[in-house]
Amino acid sequence: MILSVRDLRVAFRTNDGLVRAIDGVSFDLEESEILGVVGESGSGKTVSLLAVMGLITDPNATIEGSIRYKGRELVGLPARELRRLRGNEIAMIFQDPMTALTPVYTIGWQIAEQIRAHRSISKSKAMERVEELLAEVNFPNPHEAMSRYPHQLSGGMRQRAVIAMALSCNPALLVADEPTTALDVTVQAGILDLVRKLRATHKSAVVFITHDMGVVSELADRVMVMYAGRVVERGSRAELFSDPRHPYTRALLGSIPPLTGEKPRRLPAIPGSPPSLLRLPQGCAFGPRCPVHYEPCEAGKPDLGSGTHAAACFRVAQA
Amino acid sequence: MIDKNRPILETRSLGKRFSIGSRFSAEGKRIVHAVDNVSLTVWRGETVGLVGESGCGKSTLARCLVRLYDISDGELLFEGNDITSKSLSELRPLRRRLQMVFQDPSASLNPRRRVGDLVAEPLRIHDRLSSSEITKRVAELFDLVGLLPDHVMRFPHEFSGGQRQRVGIARAIALNPDLVVLDEPVSALDVSVQAQIVNLLADLQEKLNLTYIFIAHDLSVVRQVSTRIAVMYLGSIVEEGPAEDVFAAPAHPYSQALISAVPVVETTPGGTRKRIILTGDVPSPLNPPTGCRFHPRCPIAVERCRSERPQLREYRPGRKVACHFPTM
Repeated sequence: MILSVRDLRVAFRTNDGLVRAIDGVSFDLEESEILGVVGESGSGKTVSLLAVMGLITDPNATIEGSIRYKGRELVGLPARELRRLRGNEIAMIFQDPMTALTPVYTIGWQIAEQIRAHRSISKSKAMERVEELLAEVNFPNPHEAMSRYPHQLSGGMRQRAVIAMALSCNPALLVADEPTTALDVTVQAGILDLVRKLRATHKSAVVFITHDMGVVSELADRVMVMYAGRVVERGSRAELFSDPRHPYTRALLGSIPPLTGEKPRRLPAIPGSPPSLLRLPQGCAFGPRCPVHYEPCEAGKPDLGSGTHAAACFRVAQA
Repeated sequence: MIDKNRPILETRSLGKRFSIGSRFSAEGKRIVHAVDNVSLTVWRGETVGLVGESGCGKSTLARCLVRLYDISDGELLFEGNDITSKSLSELRPLRRRLQMVFQDPSASLNPRRRVGDLVAEPLRIHDRLSSSEITKRVAELFDLVGLLPDHVMRFPHEFSGGQRQRVGIARAIALNPDLVVLDEPVSALDVSVQAQIVNLLADLQEKLNLTYIFIAHDLSVVRQVSTRIAVMYLGSIVEEGPAEDVFAAPAHPYSQALISAVPVVETTPGGTRKRIILTGDVPSPLNPPTGCRFHPRCPIAVERCRSERPQLREYRPGRKVACHFPTM
């Protein structure tokens, strides 16, 4: 077991009230497994991963629950110890590569710095390793790329450089937050291929956050669907896509226009919009938008329950 | 109803050049051909989808079509009348018939004005209506786009993204336009809200007999709304045809790669589609490749592609391709 998260709760105190960004999230991750986390904006997918990385430093935030990495508790770990893990055993890739790269140093320098922060090796040895890494993430001319500045690279190449940086210390856990959302589909296809290849060669476990069901279905081994700070459904890729159980998962899959075959005259849309975390509806947060909503949904929040394929829905529990 | 006898908008070898840098910069003054030799006919009542990677010139083309940009080369015709170089005052009566919806509704709505006011603005500019007539028309428009009557007094920030886009759409249709150019209208919205807006656009098209030019990078959304699509690469159209045909059997190697790259939900195990992964990046339009502009990334390029630029030709009725070796 690489990562085990139990009943994670993250709340932020704001002027308008308490925002429960994450409200009881649990999941496990095995070695060389890809977990896809799907959800819309505000569903808590990014915040839960920032918590895992120990990157929530807002003094108004409270983090409860347990995050165990290889059995070691991360919640409450001193910053010094966390720094030793981050970038070394746990690495992260963000949506916009420019937020992870400094514009004033070359790509080679930045990746080498990362290696030397965690390993005591000489500069020239580090540079050799950088060249290997850039070749691994399919830079056509790695030696030349080392001396490039981020602004001289295209968006796809920058994201590859960030991936090379994330891999530089052979992380056991790689967290990717919408790494392909800002990229064109043609470039995205290359990056997804790369993630698959790296999982095979480095045996890293990957948590991949996205809002794109298509991306998840092509990449993930297991999937977790989030809505308003809670996990509404989890299952293996096959289970989730061939037998979606939660009304939200079903509706989300149904509202994607097909790329082949007959065009529906109208798309089956989900009414309304995702709720504000400040004013969550009573009971199940999806209730007001749910086509199979009934009385028990307003009385309490449905539990996800146990089992590999589970949905947090009273209707599903009843069936 | 699509009327194939009446083109509403037509471009003839349309081009848009930008000059960048100055004569004092290291490279001197340079010219970018953002849109190059585009000839496109849009029939009344249809939806033409423009697709392509970022930087392919689709947004620039859209802005040229509504004359938000001045056109550098070629001609632009609206209902057969040349409007390529009409002055702003001459364009004014046309503006009400040619409208645009932008990607980010929060950037295109003034945050300090009430949305009722924002929707009334085009009416105040173009129509001499009394204030009670304006109020009535705004209420009608709110109803049409699915907003509640008491929403008129709200400010843009009080709405969700989907509702804000509804306001943007209400503004665009306020003057009963004939043609609406939609530049990525659903890209900034949550997945669960996109379908609502796509459906709304389809309903409005039917009710108001609108013609759309629809730009989006999400290919499945484009296929859903478009009757015809045009695939752009480095400023030019490389393939054009009925949306379903092009998606089912793309003829240009670029369209093939683009469509195959879209991740789709596979429910049947083992049913993975064949994917063509393009190598390299989109070349800079400052320094486009010789011959066919796609040849450096094309999996089937031969010597001829390096020297001779293929023209957009009609291979089958309604299907045009700019390739020496189209798959059809």
